[in-house]
Amino acid sequence: MSYGSIVKVPFGPQHPALKEPEHFLFEIDGEIIVNVKPRIGYNHRGIEKAFERRTYIQNIYLAERICGICSDAHTTCYTQAIEDLLGLDAPPRARYIRVIVAELERIHSHSLWLGIAVHEIGFDTFFMYLWRDREAVMDILELISGNRVHYAMNTIGGVRRDITPEIIPKIIRSLDFLEKRTKYYMKALRSERTVLKRTVDVGVLKPKDAVELCAVGPTLRASGVKNDVRGDDPYAAYDEIPFNIVTDDGCDVFSRMLVRCGEILESINMIRYALDHMPSGMLRVRMPMAVKPGEAVSRVEAPRGELIHYVKSNGSTRPERYKVRSPTLANIPALCRMFIGQHVADIPIILAGIDPCFACMDRLVFIDVKTNKRKSLDFESFSEMVRKQRNFRLA
Amino acid sequence: MRREDRIVTKLREKLKEKIITINVPRERRIFIHIKPDALRESIKFLRDIGFRHISTITGVDTGDSIELIYHLALDGSIELSLKLKVQKDDHKVPTITDIIPGVVLYEREVHEMFGVNFEGHPDLSPLILPEGWPRNIYPLRKKYTLEHLRNSIFKEEDEK
Amino acid sequence: MAIIAEAIKWLLKHPVTIKYPFEREAPPKGFRGRPVWDMHRCIGCGLCSRICPSGAIEIIGRGQEAKIKHYVDRCLFCGQCSESCPRNAIKLMNDFEHARYNRDVMIYEYKRET
Ligand code: SF4
Ligand code: SF4
Repeated sequence: MSYGSIVKVPFGPQHPALKEPEHFLFEIDGEIIVNVKPRIGYNHRGIEKAFERRTYIQNIYLAERICGICSDAHTTCYTQAIEDLLGLDAPPRARYIRVIVAELERIHSHSLWLGIAVHEIGFDTFFMYLWRDREAVMDILELISGNRVHYAMNTIGGVRRDITPEIIPKIIRSLDFLEKRTKYYMKALRSERTVLKRTVDVGVLKPKDAVELCAVGPTLRASGVKNDVRGDDPYAAYDEIPFNIVTDDGCDVFSRMLVRCGEILESINMIRYALDHMPSGMLRVRMPMAVKPGEAVSRVEAPRGELIHYVKSNGSTRPERYKVRSPTLANIPALCRMFIGQHVADIPIILAGIDPCFACMDRLVFIDVKTNKRKSLDFESFSEMVRKQRNFRLA
Repeated sequence: MRREDRIVTKLREKLKEKIITINVPRERRIFIHIKPDALRESIKFLRDIGFRHISTITGVDTGDSIELIYHLALDGSIELSLKLKVQKDDHKVPTITDIIPGVVLYEREVHEMFGVNFEGHPDLSPLILPEGWPRNIYPLRKKYTLEHLRNSIFKEEDEK
Repeated sequence: MAIIAEAIKWLLKHPVTIKYPFEREAPPKGFRGRPVWDMHRCIGCGLCSRICPSGAIEIIGRGQEAKIKHYVDRCLFCGQCSESCPRNAIKLMNDFEHARYNRDVMIYEYKRET
């Protein structure tokens, strides 16, 4: 049914569902979206220009800060591109460690996304449980790398830290826990009416459109297209580790959920295999000082899909040109296609369907439930307390 | 024969003297440099032999000209970089949005960052740069250093 | 419905969160916190200052007399300085509460004591 007049509704740039503020201009007819225009770049930080002003070593940490969730994918891609230029090969143990960290990151990113997706449909109980269990994988990542978010594991020519035998049992234990929980969540998703009603047949992307609009990652795989850089263009140790590419034929938001759950389970098996078969040996090879002129293209399957970096060097200590294309940009044309013909109320969940994330802020106000007294801290007393407790701990 | 070599042979047969160089630095990577007028023809040909996915377009400022690199993928596995050089000003680059619709945003990005005009593109309105960004300042061209951008744009704003 | 059973099960258990900052957990071994200089080992070569990706290290003077200023507000806690130092003079501590209202108090200075 048509109401004859088109109304334009701006959406964003500020929206709690998005990590990056993005703006969409929806043209709607009644309740139905007929057209959408994206406007991105509210978070443009000029990183490509900044790459040209830093040395190759410094750029590792810049690449890491392109994204907070797939920080490891970006450094893997960056270091591979430079290794390609230099003709270096990372030692076998380093390649296995890269796989382990990348897969842990995928588990973390996918469970984060799953939490956001159920939050978007208003199912916050589910969200809380998912994010509680995500802590298990964050803790292992911190244990391996020394930081919860920016792992800084990769360096040109290998990795910076080893996975020592002491922490392997801890990793295995957390993986067992995560496997049990993920299986449970998959069952819960399939049986929960709230989830099914809001996601089945919502945001449909036909396989033909997905290929034509060059969608990537789980968005593409949920439309039944078997495409995964890890399998098609193997890097690190992916050619030695057996795994299945998870696809689903539903083409809607629900199948995107199932694909990501399936990938978590696959990742868990891959990490187990990698831990068992990890060769011993060196962690890194030395990087020569000069980078000869040349160019290289490097691709990585980030949690959200194909990530591609291009580097051109001119023989100096800094790159001549560095190009990054992150998976979210590749999915935007497909996202715009998904919106057409959908209801306004489904905008957040469709938007969340391609995997954005959000940052949240917190204040230092606590409510003591027993006495119902508000404890509010100003900064000075907070630091005072921190100091006291630290002394206490050290004593 | 490797898959890469087969593709290179096919391309040589089809494009002949329009190819300037081809090299295959390692498996699953192909770099070809073509003459600018062969763009649409080669993209069409590549799409028909299976390169349906475009990963991105990279622009490189090489002094007096701009290098455009189209990164295409064959079933996700072979990454082919198709390179052409165009004049900085006064160039004619046809759009390829009708051949591969997924390229829409990449052409707009290169348009804003390097000032390349894609003829026939449906919508070249600003995508990334903020509103009120001065025309004819293309931030990724080498001429615009950070100091230059800071002085020419942000100073004006401070004075306001 | 599966979630309701889960919720009831967890209702009877302890909360999984801890009441930071009243309760706290120590970071794990190998945590990358604030870098600290041991000036008795430092030879003042200036490598750390040149390699730091965020320009958080300033070195004043060279050799034994060198003074190092570390701007913790710029530091990324990447650990590259400690990795590159030829004398192993830099160690990463495990403290993480660095936020202050004033940038001036976020500078740490190191100098060799004689
Ligand atoms: S790299 Fe090490 S020895 Fe050199 S100045 Fe820095 S701390 Fe001192
Ligand atoms: S940890 Fe990293 S950012 Fe911090 S001072 Fe050292 S090199 Fe610089």
